[in-house]
Amino acid sequence: MFSLKPPRPSFRSYLLPPAQTDDNINSQPKIKKLEPVLLPGEIVVNEVNFVRKCIATDTSQYDLWGKLICSNFKISFITDDPMPLQKFHYRNLLLGEHDVPLTCVEQIVTVNDHKRKQKVLGPNQKLKFNPTELIIYCKDFRIVRFRFDESGPESAKKVCLAIAHYSQPTDLQLLFAFEYVGKKYHNSANKINGVSSEGGGRGGIGAGSGTTSQKTPLFETYSDWDREIKRTGASGWRVCSINEGYMISTCLPEYFVVPSSLADQDLKSFSHSFVGRRMPLWCWNHSNGSALVRMALIKDVLQQRRIDQRICNAITKSHPQRNDVYKLDLEKTLPNIQEIQAAFVKLKQLCVNEPFEETEEKWLSSLENTRWLEYVRAFLKHSAEVVYMLESKHLSVVLQEEEGRDLSCLVASLVQVMLDAYFRTITGFQSLIQKEWVMAGYQFLDRCNHLKKSEKESPLFLLFLDATWQLLEQYPAAFEFSETYLTVLYDSTRISLFGTFLFNSPHQRVKQSTEFAISKNIQLGDEKGLKFPSVWDWSLQFTAKDRTLFHNPFYVGKSMPCVQNGSVKSFKRTKKSYSSTLRGMPSSLKNGVIGDQELPPRRNSPILKHKPDPLQHTDSHNSDMEQYFREWFSKPADLHGVILPCLSGAHIKLWKLCYFRWVPEAQIHLGGSITAFHKLSLLVDEVDTLSRMLRQQRSSPLEACYAELDQSRMYFRAQGPHSTSGTPEFLSSSFPFSPVGNLCRRSILGTPLSKFLSGAKIWISTETLANED
Amino acid sequence: MASASTKYNSHSLENESIKRTSRDGLNRDLSETVPRLPGETLITDKEVIYICPFNGPIKGRVYITNYRLYLRSLETDSALILDVPLGVISRIEKMGGATSRGENSYGLDITCKVCGDQVECGCRCVLHFCHRFGDLLPDMRNLRFALKQEGHSRRDMFETLTRHAFPLAHSLPLFAFLNEEKFHVDGWTVYNPVEEYRRQGLPNHHWRITFINKCYELCDTYPALLVVPYRASDEDLRRVAIFRSRNRIPVLSWIHPENKTVIMRCSQPLVGMSGKRNKDDEKYLDLIRETNRQISKLTIYDARPSVNAVANKATGGGYESDDAYHNAELSFLDIHNIHVMRESLKKVKDIVYPNVEESHWLSSLESTHWLEHIKLVLTGAIQVADKVSSGKSSVLVHCSDGWDRTAQLTSLAMLMLDSFYRSIEGFEILVQKEWISFGHKFGSRIGHGDKNHADADRSPIFLQFIDCVWQMSKQFPTAFEFNERFLIAILDHLYSCRFGTFLFNCESARERQKVPERTVSLWSMINSNKDKFKNPFYTKEINRVLYPVASMRHLELWVNYYIRWNPRIKQQPNPVEQRYMELLALRDDYIKRLEELQLANSAKLSDPPTSPSQMMPHVQTHF
Repeated sequence: MFSLKPPRPSFRSYLLPPAQTDDNINSQPKIKKLEPVLLPGEIVVNEVNFVRKCIATDTSQYDLWGKLICSNFKISFITDDPMPLQKFHYRNLLLGEHDVPLTCVEQIVTVNDHKRKQKVLGPNQKLKFNPTELIIYCKDFRIVRFRFDESGPESAKKVCLAIAHYSQPTDLQLLFAFEYVGKKYHNSANKINGVSSEGGGRGGIGAGSGTTSQKTPLFETYSDWDREIKRTGASGWRVCSINEGYMISTCLPEYFVVPSSLADQDLKSFSHSFVGRRMPLWCWNHSNGSALVRMALIKDVLQQRRIDQRICNAITKSHPQRNDVYKLDLEKTLPNIQEIQAAFVKLKQLCVNEPFEETEEKWLSSLENTRWLEYVRAFLKHSAEVVYMLESKHLSVVLQEEEGRDLSCLVASLVQVMLDAYFRTITGFQSLIQKEWVMAGYQFLDRCNHLKKSEKESPLFLLFLDATWQLLEQYPAAFEFSETYLTVLYDSTRISLFGTFLFNSPHQRVKQSTEFAISKNIQLGDEKGLKFPSVWDWSLQFTAKDRTLFHNPFYVGKSMPCVQNGSVKSFKRTKKSYSSTLRGMPSSLKNGVIGDQELPPRRNSPILKHKPDPLQHTDSHNSDMEQYFREWFSKPADLHGVILPCLSGAHIKLWKLCYFRWVPEAQIHLGGSITAFHKLSLLVDEVDTLSRMLRQQRSSPLEACYAELDQSRMYFRAQGPHSTSGTPEFLSSSFPFSPVGNLCRRSILGTPLSKFLSGAKIWISTETLANED
Repeated sequence: MASASTKYNSHSLENESIKRTSRDGLNRDLSETVPRLPGETLITDKEVIYICPFNGPIKGRVYITNYRLYLRSLETDSALILDVPLGVISRIEKMGGATSRGENSYGLDITCKVCGDQVECGCRCVLHFCHRFGDLLPDMRNLRFALKQEGHSRRDMFETLTRHAFPLAHSLPLFAFLNEEKFHVDGWTVYNPVEEYRRQGLPNHHWRITFINKCYELCDTYPALLVVPYRASDEDLRRVAIFRSRNRIPVLSWIHPENKTVIMRCSQPLVGMSGKRNKDDEKYLDLIRETNRQISKLTIYDARPSVNAVANKATGGGYESDDAYHNAELSFLDIHNIHVMRESLKKVKDIVYPNVEESHWLSSLESTHWLEHIKLVLTGAIQVADKVSSGKSSVLVHCSDGWDRTAQLTSLAMLMLDSFYRSIEGFEILVQKEWISFGHKFGSRIGHGDKNHADADRSPIFLQFIDCVWQMSKQFPTAFEFNERFLIAILDHLYSCRFGTFLFNCESARERQKVPERTVSLWSMINSNKDKFKNPFYTKEINRVLYPVASMRHLELWVNYYIRWNPRIKQQPNPVEQRYMELLALRDDYIKRLEELQLANSAKLSDPPTSPSQMMPHVQTHF
């Protein structure tokens, strides 16, 4: 059985460097004896010396020598050798430069050159040969390769087996987060300052005075929901506590919001009829009174109509205008989770495929064939339609789905990102993820497949981040966060230290951690389960300086006045711009004076070749919607109001930073959008500094301002060392990530020429391997 | 025909008088409805139904001047305006006959250039566009007008349009020769070859400027001034010319300031089926190789696919064989010819017009091969730039005649190597030098004022080059002084015939026609309005070589150019640029207020005043 081995005698635990210090990479004390840096609760399971980490496939010239370690948290490669050719390393405080968290491992392949054998290693498997090589395929598209030519064959084998074993645990409680949090609780029992800021985490990620650090609401409490009701002005809705202690449903949060007209007693009686006892959950309210609600299917056929009617009536009653409810069956219109997973697998294969040149010729059609972008587009399109219903038709919308915990999470959150500027701030976005994903019972454990046995793996959360990225790309000034933030957030789902993305439901966290606490003699007191660290506590992963990279310099925040032509600009979208004051000719002409049918198209005329526009249908509902979108796009977007996605094929793009960051051939040295980001950051920083100075000047004389000058929202500082000469050398389209050492590929080096001249295929692809033994 | 043209003349006179009266303050409403350039005259106007591909038929009034076709909707609820320079018209056809039934089936069908095929025009977005870009419309479209079947209204309009859209076929001057616009800078002085070569450090010990082609006797499609190896005599040059297609001998385009390797351009050698050799040519290439004192071979990049190069032997051309040129290494860059490029762009039009292909956008895009061609051109240029920048060897570039693919490769490589060309004026010089002076056949490739829309000589080679530049500017947002608007303006006036810059095929023809004396340069307009064309993110860098990644993963269709008229493709000012400008304004405002406050404070405290620029030394100098 899988169990934690007792720590070896040589085990030494290093506490993390204080998270808040702004130390840079170089000042880290060198570990002389190649000792691993371990977290509390982390133990070394196995290790092997004289290992070579391969940097390029066509030469061993740049390989690094070191020690390979498997702990219960990560695969760690410790070396004294400096990384070749790497100009920048974005450091995660939890991980060394060469480390891979066990939950990030996708597949482990061992190879023996001499015997020409290879094997994909599962848990508890035997290995009949001594591996000369270990290839780790990571879930974040990295491929890391180690060679054991000079290391002890037995130890090499043991490490490989240990990695295979520990990266595929059989039980949730074997994930490192439990060990870590258990250790924290034990330590806190002995110390006065025990568990620190865990749980909530700071929403504000910048140290600068420009941003006020806000705590991300976790929606674990009654008051968080109540505040959200008040924030959105949802007068016909109330917080319901019938699920306290998860008495009604184990996949709903303890508190959620329901129509005021529904009594607890009714809800309790209805609950049995819903799949998973998942009653309708309120998500959000438009200022016009329409509400966004998500709901599971009613499985009780006899009661179906009655309950449905009651719920709809109640939602209508909660609408100030008593407007109707619009129901959207997500499963009928959107791809299912298996299809999304299949698309993702294809996308991943395409992105890391080798040789690079081979996929070039058919790149566009191959990309299309993955269907990934098609799905991104489908979700954006349907969410935009929901926006239309809420915003223009003033209808409350109910999202329906079998269990209401997959597609609903994605659509509900995209709709809110489009409609509510608050969710485009960092704190707002995090609270949205808490509200619509974590608390609403999105099955992170299964969908992320942390235990690597789930048939239910599906990257819905990534799809959400990708769709958000599309909006960020189209409206860069509407979001407080950068694409680095989104990428790092995606990576955080692969670090099994945080509780945020570890469980299938809030109840599972409480249940599992209570069990664990009992087995480890941890006194929980009146706490509901263990308090795992939250991803939103970004200081656990990044220094204050590095966290400033999350800030988008293009963002026009509410606090930042936006001057154009000398006057402060603020266009507020009012209701009337959507209603009957429709300008222009389009539909009136089409259906009115001069009809389409009166136009006999000439032979070979382009009119004959008109392809039907997907948004253009004959029925009035769709043409109204088309009209709404047209109207909206004909005006400048109000960045503090609704934003709608451009959905044409040319506008839905591949999120290159996330998917290409490890691919050396795709890296644009000293280029990419980051260079404009850099340039703008300097200006934003300068404006911030001036504004601070201005404030200081107003209040008191000169001296006081110097203290504040040191703080900045921006990673790139106007007065920093980088501003002296143009674009910093370390910038590339992969920034802040580096392909070096993360994707063992050819042509990582050399002239740009080598990027275009393909050579011999060096090593086998994932597909080929998976079929052999 | 004769009667029609008399009719036209009377029209023309009539409108001349309208214009004159309007100058006197009379009949103002008619003249003010149509924007007019100095020298532009209204020929005719007529009520038509414009058949908008997006919104159906719209009643409007069309005005035809000797420069443009202008249409304004007469319907109260529609703000439609079309403003099309006649230069972009490729074909005008009558649709329907006298017996045609049904409304709007009788009229004119106007096809615009670029694809030389059926293309139409958008409506609402056009209006926006007009405001934003001033005066021009894109050309991937066609216009259809329905006319009443009374009198000879259609025939009149057809005749008028044909005469003025294709003036050369009717012995009329191109509008550029009638344009009386005045600008405060003279674009014709932007490029001075002697100055440009001096900037490159030429002449030097190894390279000399020769005036052998002063009267275009050596090569009628080359400029008057050429840079050649110092040790090659004029007599040598004449002997080499015999062996090079159209006498386009290898001459210097660019020299690396440090390692002194060079980029040379020429046409194919006249090897022919028999595999002819020419000792003078071989010796000449060796002279080039020796100029930078390197022992390495001279690299010859033949832009064509090798099959095409071989096939050219049949018509007397060919390529440099290993046997004859021991000290050279030849590689083919696989770039296809003008016909392939024309067809490819035609396919691009098919997928974006009239509707943008939605469900299979990427595979449709792939099937046009347009980006693949862009990739090959960029890859070729990168190889040239890499060879020269690494100092490995000098490079000789040619294709068949050395005026299409060769111009693309040398100019793109120079853009990668030399940051000077990435400024607005530098880019103008680059275009003026590598394209205009070295005889890219703009007249034939675009077909200015020519009615033969199916001419096989037409091809979007220069457009493809500008597309490559745009791809580079996407990958390096801070490396270019100019913005997208600059590139689009260049392309718009490539067709418009408003300026003399792109007219005719070579320098000798332009000299004969006295183009610089008689027309306005596009650069006059641009340089007197530079701010509009500046990229706010530009960070001037010296000596940085740009290596774009010529991969399908990064190349994109230039939506803002090819699909700019589509109302469903949102036309918005670059939000990122806009944000930058806003912040600049904010910064200046803060600095001003801070200075005011400090003055006030220092007066109060009677301390020595500290200006914000002293506290932040970079503030004044940084931008």
